[in-house]
Amino acid sequence: MTATDAPVSETAPATPGPARRTLAVFTRNKLALTGALVLLGLLTFCFLGPLIHPTDQIHTDLSQAGLAPGGNHPLGTTDLGYDLLGRLMYGGRTSLEVGLAAGLLATLLGTVYGAVAGYLGGWADAAMMRITDAALAIPALFLLVVVAAIVTPSKPVLILIIASVAWLSPARLIRGEALALRSRDYLHAMRLMGGGGSRAVFRHILPNAIGTVIVNATFQIADAILYVAYLSFLGLSIPPPAADWGSMLSAGITYTQVGHWWLIFPPGIAIVLVVAAFNFIGDGLRDAFDVRLEKS
Amino acid sequence: MIRFLTKRIAQAATVLLLVSVIVFVLLHMLPGGPARAILGVQATPEAIAHFNHQQGYDRSLPQQYVMYLGRLLSGDLGESYKLNQTVASLLGERLPKTALLAGLALTLAALLAVPLGILQAVRRGKAADYLLTGAAFLAYATPVFFLGLVLILVFSQQLQLLPAEAPQADTLGGILTDLPALVLPVVTAALGIIAAFSRYTRSAVLDNLSEEYVRTARAKGQSNARIMARHVLRNALIPLATLLGLHLPTLFSGTLVVESMFNYPGMGLLFWNAAQGSDFPVLLGVTLVAGVATVLGSLLTDIAYAVLDPRIRSVT
Amino acid sequence: MTDKLLTIEDLHVDITGRRGRTIHALDGVDLDLAPGEALGIVGESGCGKTMTALSVLRLLPNGGKVTGGRILFDGTDLATTPETALRDIRGNTIGMVFQDPLTSLNPTLTIGAQVAEPLLLHTELTKTEAWAKAEETLRLVGMPRPTERMRNYPHQLSGGMRQRVAIAMALVCEPRLLIADEPTTALDVTTQHQILELIDELRERLGMAMILVTHDLGVIARRVDRVAVMYGGRIAERAPVRPLFATPRHRYTQALFAALPERTTDGARTLLTIPGLPPSLATRPVGCRFAPRCGFATEICRTAEPEPTCDSGTGHAVACFHPGGPEAGAAASVDVIDVAVGGTETTETTATTEAAEVRPRPEQPAPAAPPERTEETLLRLVGVTKSYPLHGGPFVRRRTAASQVSAVAGISLTVRRGETFGIVGESGCGKSTLGRMVVGLEAPTSGTIRFADRDITTLTKRELRAHRREVQLMFQDSYAAMDPRMRVGAILREPLAIQRIGDSAEQRRRIAGLLDDVGLPRGSVNRYPHEFSGGQRQRLGLARALALAPSLVVADEPVSALDVSVQAQILNLMRDLQREKGLSYLFISHDLAVVRHLADSVGVMYLGKLVETGPAERVFARPLHPYTRGLLDTVNAPDPDATPAGTPLAGETPSAAAPPSGCRFRTRCPSATELCATTEPPPAEPETPGHRVACHFPLSGGAVGGR
Repeated sequence: MTATDAPVSETAPATPGPARRTLAVFTRNKLALTGALVLLGLLTFCFLGPLIHPTDQIHTDLSQAGLAPGGNHPLGTTDLGYDLLGRLMYGGRTSLEVGLAAGLLATLLGTVYGAVAGYLGGWADAAMMRITDAALAIPALFLLVVVAAIVTPSKPVLILIIASVAWLSPARLIRGEALALRSRDYLHAMRLMGGGGSRAVFRHILPNAIGTVIVNATFQIADAILYVAYLSFLGLSIPPPAADWGSMLSAGITYTQVGHWWLIFPPGIAIVLVVAAFNFIGDGLRDAFDVRLEKS
Repeated sequence: MIRFLTKRIAQAATVLLLVSVIVFVLLHMLPGGPARAILGVQATPEAIAHFNHQQGYDRSLPQQYVMYLGRLLSGDLGESYKLNQTVASLLGERLPKTALLAGLALTLAALLAVPLGILQAVRRGKAADYLLTGAAFLAYATPVFFLGLVLILVFSQQLQLLPAEAPQADTLGGILTDLPALVLPVVTAALGIIAAFSRYTRSAVLDNLSEEYVRTARAKGQSNARIMARHVLRNALIPLATLLGLHLPTLFSGTLVVESMFNYPGMGLLFWNAAQGSDFPVLLGVTLVAGVATVLGSLLTDIAYAVLDPRIRSVT
Repeated sequence: MTDKLLTIEDLHVDITGRRGRTIHALDGVDLDLAPGEALGIVGESGCGKTMTALSVLRLLPNGGKVTGGRILFDGTDLATTPETALRDIRGNTIGMVFQDPLTSLNPTLTIGAQVAEPLLLHTELTKTEAWAKAEETLRLVGMPRPTERMRNYPHQLSGGMRQRVAIAMALVCEPRLLIADEPTTALDVTTQHQILELIDELRERLGMAMILVTHDLGVIARRVDRVAVMYGGRIAERAPVRPLFATPRHRYTQALFAALPERTTDGARTLLTIPGLPPSLATRPVGCRFAPRCGFATEICRTAEPEPTCDSGTGHAVACFHPGGPEAGAAASVDVIDVAVGGTETTETTATTEAAEVRPRPEQPAPAAPPERTEETLLRLVGVTKSYPLHGGPFVRRRTAASQVSAVAGISLTVRRGETFGIVGESGCGKSTLGRMVVGLEAPTSGTIRFADRDITTLTKRELRAHRREVQLMFQDSYAAMDPRMRVGAILREPLAIQRIGDSAEQRRRIAGLLDDVGLPRGSVNRYPHEFSGGQRQRLGLARALALAPSLVVADEPVSALDVSVQAQILNLMRDLQREKGLSYLFISHDLAVVRHLADSVGVMYLGKLVETGPAERVFARPLHPYTRGLLDTVNAPDPDATPAGTPLAGETPSAAAPPSGCRFRTRCPSATELCATTEPPPAEPETPGHRVACHFPLSGGAVGGR
């Protein structure tokens, strides 16, 4: 029914592969494309911005403290005299680096764990899933705070802490995917040809699960960036003079009483922008992978 | 349903046990071990050794775990070394207040999210749908504390409409009498859940609208409004019960932030203060209780689901 | 015109898909219906028959719209009447029954609430009165224990009972017209028969008119007064049922009849097929829609659209420039088509796009080469059983007697090299499980499976791998059995790569050969499975099954998802390849006609047991088991004059979790006695050697009635 108007002929060129079609669908999704552009913009801002707007983010300068936006300081200064625009770039690097690394690490851990559970099935699967159930039952933020209170975070430690909590949801997701893929007819067909476990995993299950993994990774990164912000906000992130968007907001709270709005909105909006961007990208990717082969 | 229930309860019991294992492991990860955590930073090595022997912390881990579990079951969660009170009694004071905040937020979320989701489904692809979808995405991406700050700036500082501090009364009744002060904390805690629930409602209603039983109802002469009310909503909203259970951890995480922002005297604030002061017995006690509450909460929502859905209810 | 209940004039329906692609689903449909009359609409998938039915009550799917024409019902134009007025008609004066009785009932409302719903909408009855009437209607549709059923939910009923509920819902307001859209397609043969009988009886009792939409010519043969054959969104032919079945005149109708396996009971004969595929309705085809596939098409067929010409005396209308003459019987016209289809070169030149769709196989094998059937036993099953735990999961104790489903319960059979062994049975009889055990996807709970005299359940890993070459499976849904991310080339290469056959050049050569074998162009290797149609996918599935040159192919319902004309193509292909390569088939199907056409030997399964086996012609001509007899009597022969079935099967198949004691069939058997309840009947060969039956009281022969 779907293919009646796409006759197969001897000479027609080969149909483009799934990867290219996925890309084509993704770029047609305006929201996803916007997300990708916003992300690109933020990355440029954080990593290349200091070249245009160099500032000192290590030494405090109380003579310049609490200035409103204007002049040399387009976004004003903090209570300790840091230039806010510069600090936004500086803090953004922490947020983005930790978020990306922790999100990817969590996806990797979760994928391996979930794939193993799903592929083994039976008792092993049940036991492995009860463990994730238990860890998921403890609200993530509580777990993060306890761990962060035990060890003093640095960038790598923070990445490990967040990943150690965040791997749970991809684990569940990939496990479900692996279970579903395992019972597909094309795996039965492959077994009937005499194919074994490694062919099943590497030729069929992984290529078909890769979409789910990639989509989940983008959502994991978004979550990880939020976790960094939450931890910093609760005062449990990398200690000063290091900064990230969450700790900047946290530091700004005290000054809301005196109307220093510029301490609140720029970092807050930056967090919203980057998290929304990753969510849009993830959503676009999900659609792109979804339609990949169903109907042309 | 009996089979479903026994299976589900057995599963919840296993998970509860594993939650206690996780907290037990955290206890042993503490700097200096449980002794340091309980006796405080100033304790001498002799005191620690003595304590370890007395409490059995020099025995094997499985033995220790059994002892730990025994203490938990007798309600002994240790003693705060900052507040001079047992963790159990602290939680007894604070837990109901957090439950109140979470309950109000959940109720508000359900009351708003379901109609919004239906509206989006009915007006699919129209301006209202896009607008609300955009708002939901924004709400997903906004950290609770940023949202809280913006609400405080706007409604408390600029408009001077609502107080920025939550009710401070000791009793639940006292808290409920100070409604204006409850508005900002409850709304802040609810927004993320509203976004999630309205997205769910939208897609569930859309899915059900394309089901064939809807066509059957139309073939009987039912009007669109009554098809929605009588046929679609029933099917779309029953699974919302389980979704509620799945969102409990998020909700508790949210109350942690909201309570510390608005100075609401619940479990979250207790936890936050304990984190600032490295009051580990309190930290671990609250973590354990939050985990147990989540497990029991999601067990309850699953049972509710089983009761509501005839396909599970009628299977013996 | 005034004596008509329903008149459809020049109806046009467009369906706009998600991506804005518009399908002209109906393109000028004319139909009419007198009060009390029954009209059948037949055609293959995508021909517009369901859209016609749905547009009467404006229940078209999302994006569907009536773009032109009128639907006059009792003087009201349903195409333009306001929604509120239409609501008064829906479920009140026009009732509708849909295909799938599970999905078309609301899972969370009680049966009573759903059956009473139309009454509460359209009558002044109170809730109590409506419920009483609903219960009465349930009794009318033959629902056992209706009082109790009123409070049940749909999932607690079997498929047949659900369809009875759906019928009760449609009839509760005593409509003047019943529209039934494939009402029996999702049901088993015996249930299908019961539902059709029920509809017949109710129609008579209530004096309703009916539109019966179906793809199955057998279903309408004895159930309607007139028939409309649809093709490509238009009515191809319209006539009273007898003339239509006796002398179909449109070339499409003729070809459709000729493709039926029922009409070609001699398995040695090639089924007549219609080359190519139905037209895409995204663009309005120029000329006759059937012309690209028609052996009689001339220049005018490709340029002008034929208008229906009606013989006012007989009411036989045909939209064809070169109709078969009324004097030419079906058989005669078949021969003409035979020539047309057999002449493959003609099709290639006449059909433009479709020529590339399904290529004629390059070298036709010598026609009717005698099948190389030997006496050598290829596959022998002895006492094979398979049980599943009823409720899985780690928290449930297993292996108590009541918690098991006995899917296959002691099957012994023999397949000889080169023969086709057909397994027939209704859904849930264990036939698919049997197939999965034979190919080795599942291990039997007990019993032995010997292939070429080796017990395959005891093979070592290495031996098993080698054994895989010998037995392959052809799936019911080949699409699901192909990795969607692989091109056809990779899919066909996979078995060769796994079994390390040949280098890459040799593999390429073999793949090209396989594609030639199944009549697909070699360029297919660069395509993905989703780019192929259902029939083409089954060809691909067959090609892959043959890649390892197996001696046995297990085919599990390989044609059940296909339209009649495509089904014939696949059946012919399977048979040709069998002769060419000396294959054996274990052919599993619910469709008696298909099995009868293809199988040399046949086994009839009921609830995990093989109740009868033997040479196909003997089993079908002189069934010994009452179940076989019942099945044959229940089949809807595509013949309006077939004598009504002798003893159609009543009741429903019991659950395999709690099978009846003794003979499993006894609960539905007309001649069951005490003995049947206590003792399981041993297999015996009461009439001819090789024709075995497991029954205490085998039928003493006598040909099946109605043939």
